[in-house]
Amino acid sequence: MYLISTLVLLLCSSTIALENLVLEEEYTEYLSIRSLRDGKVASSFSFKTLLRDASPRDPRQLSFDDNQDASQHYTLFPLTLGQILRQYAITELHLTLNAGKWNYDSWGVPDEPGVGPGAELWAWMADGGTMSVDHRWQGLRNALAGLFCASLGSLDEQRTTSPQYAFPPEGTIPDLGLPHQIRHASHASEHVCTENLTPFLKLLPCKSSSGLASLLNPHRLFDADWHGMGIHVLWNPDGIEVHLNFQLVSDPLRPSTVQKQDWSLESLFDRTIQKSCPVAVTSQISVSLPSSGMYRITPEPHTLQGDNAHYELGSSLAEPFNVGIEWAGELEYPSALRDSSLMPISIHRTLQGPTQDKGRLLVTLRNNGPNELKVLYLETMPWLLQFYLHTTTMHIDGIPRNDLISNVSYILPVPHYQPATFESVLTIPGNATVRYSVDVTKAFLRYTEHPPDAQRGWDLPPAVFVPSTDSLRRMYAPALLVDLATPDFSMPYNVIIFTCSVVAFIFGSTFNLLTRKFVVVHLPEGN
Amino acid sequence: MNRLAQLPLRIIQFPLRIFRPAGDVNLIRIKRRRAIMAAIGRRASLLTVSLFLIGYLWLLAIPSSQLGRGTYIDENALQPGQVNTYWNWDDVRNADRYLERLEQLRDSNATSEQRVSFLLDEFRKMGLPAASQKYKFTTLSKKNAQGKNVYAMFSSPRASGVEAMVVSASWISRVDEGSGQLNLRGVAMVLALAKFLKQYSLWAKDLIFVLSDGHLDGMHAWLNAYHGSTQTNLITEPLMLSSGVIWTALCIDYPGHSFSHLGMFHEGLNGRLPNQDLLNSFQRIAQYRAGVPVIIYDHLDPRDYPELRNDILPQWIPGFLRDDHDLITYAYQARNVYRHFRYQASGRGSGVHGLFHQFRIDAFTIFALPAAGPHGFHALGGIVESTLRTTNNLLERLHASFFFYIMTGPERFLKIGSYLPSGIAISVAMMFAGLKAWVEAAKTHRTRPVLAVILKYMLPTHALGGIVYLAITSGLVDSVPKMVALCLIIFVSPLILVSAPKPAERIAPLAAVLKALSLCFTSTVISIIAVLNFSLSATLAAILGLPLSLSSPSTSLPLRFVKYALYFGFGVGWLFNMENLQQLLWDWQALNIWLLPFLCLVYTPVVLQASIVCLL
Repeated sequence: MYLISTLVLLLCSSTIALENLVLEEEYTEYLSIRSLRDGKVASSFSFKTLLRDASPRDPRQLSFDDNQDASQHYTLFPLTLGQILRQYAITELHLTLNAGKWNYDSWGVPDEPGVGPGAELWAWMADGGTMSVDHRWQGLRNALAGLFCASLGSLDEQRTTSPQYAFPPEGTIPDLGLPHQIRHASHASEHVCTENLTPFLKLLPCKSSSGLASLLNPHRLFDADWHGMGIHVLWNPDGIEVHLNFQLVSDPLRPSTVQKQDWSLESLFDRTIQKSCPVAVTSQISVSLPSSGMYRITPEPHTLQGDNAHYELGSSLAEPFNVGIEWAGELEYPSALRDSSLMPISIHRTLQGPTQDKGRLLVTLRNNGPNELKVLYLETMPWLLQFYLHTTTMHIDGIPRNDLISNVSYILPVPHYQPATFESVLTIPGNATVRYSVDVTKAFLRYTEHPPDAQRGWDLPPAVFVPSTDSLRRMYAPALLVDLATPDFSMPYNVIIFTCSVVAFIFGSTFNLLTRKFVVVHLPEGN
Repeated sequence: MNRLAQLPLRIIQFPLRIFRPAGDVNLIRIKRRRAIMAAIGRRASLLTVSLFLIGYLWLLAIPSSQLGRGTYIDENALQPGQVNTYWNWDDVRNADRYLERLEQLRDSNATSEQRVSFLLDEFRKMGLPAASQKYKFTTLSKKNAQGKNVYAMFSSPRASGVEAMVVSASWISRVDEGSGQLNLRGVAMVLALAKFLKQYSLWAKDLIFVLSDGHLDGMHAWLNAYHGSTQTNLITEPLMLSSGVIWTALCIDYPGHSFSHLGMFHEGLNGRLPNQDLLNSFQRIAQYRAGVPVIIYDHLDPRDYPELRNDILPQWIPGFLRDDHDLITYAYQARNVYRHFRYQASGRGSGVHGLFHQFRIDAFTIFALPAAGPHGFHALGGIVESTLRTTNNLLERLHASFFFYIMTGPERFLKIGSYLPSGIAISVAMMFAGLKAWVEAAKTHRTRPVLAVILKYMLPTHALGGIVYLAITSGLVDSVPKMVALCLIIFVSPLILVSAPKPAERIAPLAAVLKALSLCFTSTVISIIAVLNFSLSATLAAILGLPLSLSSPSTSLPLRFVKYALYFGFGVGWLFNMENLQQLLWDWQALNIWLLPFLCLVYTPVVLQASIVCLL
């Protein structure tokens, strides 16, 4: 009896001792839903885990044994991600995997700014110690590729850049006495699908079995017009914060025969919330209320804050939770979608020129407000497309205005190795449309560099624009597809036969002439 | 031991000894070469004649069933007709409603502004971003065009929007080559399709709906603006909406009330053709999935419609042959090939789709053959939907070498190897005829005045062609009297050239040297354009082959002049068809179809050279 009680006591005390070692963790989840002007519905899931008082690893410690590092006893914080962060001493990390084209003009500002098509990865790392930043960057993307089942390994040197201004750290940079560096890479043709969602859900403390994450139904998520997931890790004096988010834009009008914008959790995700996640400190749903039209929102909001209705999921739910909005009338599309953009600027970016050797990159920027705007413009262009920088022109209504471009910084591409980085500041006068154009030359590839689907063309990453307004972070211009000169791989034998014949004819006759001995021959008369 | 080792070598060498008779090797080689050349030289006429014969007969054999083969799908990704289509009667009703509104607009003589605002409004009601584009051509031709296109973009869900497909209808139908009949049902069809297709999330490429004004002009302006090509005589607004790279385009032409057959028109500008897989996919889908018979152009098959036989077969064919199946098949296919040659050789293409090919977009026109029935919007919508689903499957551009073909029927075609030798044989025959003239010119005197002939006769004729070209394109010659004046100048100039004093020294006859060079030049040109525009090359070969080879000077002066005048008329006759000339001028200045400069700078000069040969 005494023995047993001692054992219990011992066990309890060891648990207490362990708890003392473990850092304090906090998990919150949040879902915001808003109806968009064109009838679509944007939802944004956000799952935050805060590891209190933790700090990023100093890269100088990387040379020591891993046992020297802080212990990684997490309960809520995702261990697999934590291990990667510590192994490569990452200060700040952002990974997004998106599908679709974010329509800024009619959807407005996204809740999470990283909406570029395809995969995008960027990280801030302290530079010091024996392992170089590039070495750790390579390890990071390979580790993340393994973790998320995505082809992030292809974000190699040919796609990696270090833009100076467009991607400032979103958290705080710790004072390690070391300079910090950024590495950025994007891959527009990488698609997000179920195989990426499964590892994403595994990082959540409640997986997809309870709480808001139980709404993440892959059948509905990946049918949405736009969808994307993001993994963000950043540090601030409170500690390390992991921020997992999933955004989607669904179209409730698409399947319905009547033109009604009605939605509910059940219609959007084909699920309702059965249980709440017990470890979540807060679990909140916020619905932004439409500014016009007759509608009804059910159930009654718990709290109202301005135009937002808030629902708090308690620690236990009496009945399955569902929320939705019903409209009285049919949706009327705005009469002129284009003329009233929701953004301060509208961006169009196209690659023109039908030939396979030359072209022109054209960016059209429209300032929708009356005040002059400065916009930071970043192109991280693979060497497949090379700029003729002297042909850069800016036009307003056909009048050249090269004074509108300033602060140009350009890192030349290295063929077969490194992309170009072009950063500049564009000034757009109020209510003006500025056309920026630069002539480009298209690379001629070695035949082993062509992908298996050679005739598709090459995806080029989106350009990034950062307007100088307070409310707005970066905007992504659409991705591009470039046609390079491509041999017809479907009939290699014809090509081989033709080229070999030509080479043989030329070589044969030249060789014959070079090696022949010329002599004078006397022909007998009469022959 | 040593001898034994050499034995195998000797065995090998033994047969070669027969071909290597004893004596000076070099001497023997030279003798042998001369003997071969002499043998060819003796038979040059025979070779030329037989090559001509083969070429002309092969040209006649192109429509025969023996040369062609059945069509097939080469690109596995296309998977035509493997999907369930959802187009239904509700959507047909939508199309009918759009048609009603369009007919009201037509009957109320609505201005093009009213029409454009109606179309824009309809697109916006669907929730699709739409915009219009104004354009204006300022060419010399009287046929100047201006108008306003309307287009809408459907950004496909889940896709990054770097690839796109176009569905289009021009305001003017292609009936009588765009003479003015309206394509109202085509436009209504595109509107209804836009409303219908946006309901699905399965599109991997953006869909662009273009309603172009005019017949060819509107789409030309739209495509130029989309691809950023500039043209000095075309003023366009820049496009407000943009999407990705366009891979395929379907042009819908539905001028009648209902239709019985769907016709395929595929020839593009300057002899370009779309990938044949696209046509074959459409043909399979329409014929076998939807049960709508497909024809090529608007040619009904006389084997299915016996009453048409009298139209197709010439009168002189005796009655007992008129029911012969093979003969009717030949006549039908010959009609198709002739139509193809006309479209391709003129470089004008057969409709709006032809404008797409220059931007590497595979496109063709679906022509709903006007008839009392039985098909309408219901059949056409399902076929277009299924065809779009097929092109939506593409992971790469259509690229297998399916760009060289002649369609002899909707399900039969000729591969490049089956038709190319016809024109090339004639071209080779002309080359031999030229080389023979070259050799024979040296028989009287060994010195052949090449430079003199080129400078005195060939370059001036091409310069004359250049003058004709400049006169036409600058608008100086726009009536028959002016043309007669121009041709008189051209008629007199060779006489001056010829009357210049002949060189005193003893040289080979100029006529023979000129004929040799001219024939070799023409033969080379024909061979080169055979892969760019086979119809043009074959037509040139057929027209020029014999006349150029037969041109020769005569002893009597009147006969010389008669021959000269005949050849001259042959060379410049086309200039007097003013209407055609206006068309050629517009084609060149607005659409960059290079038939006019080609005729001026190559055809006429070459025939003029033949006429000078007769005169010398």
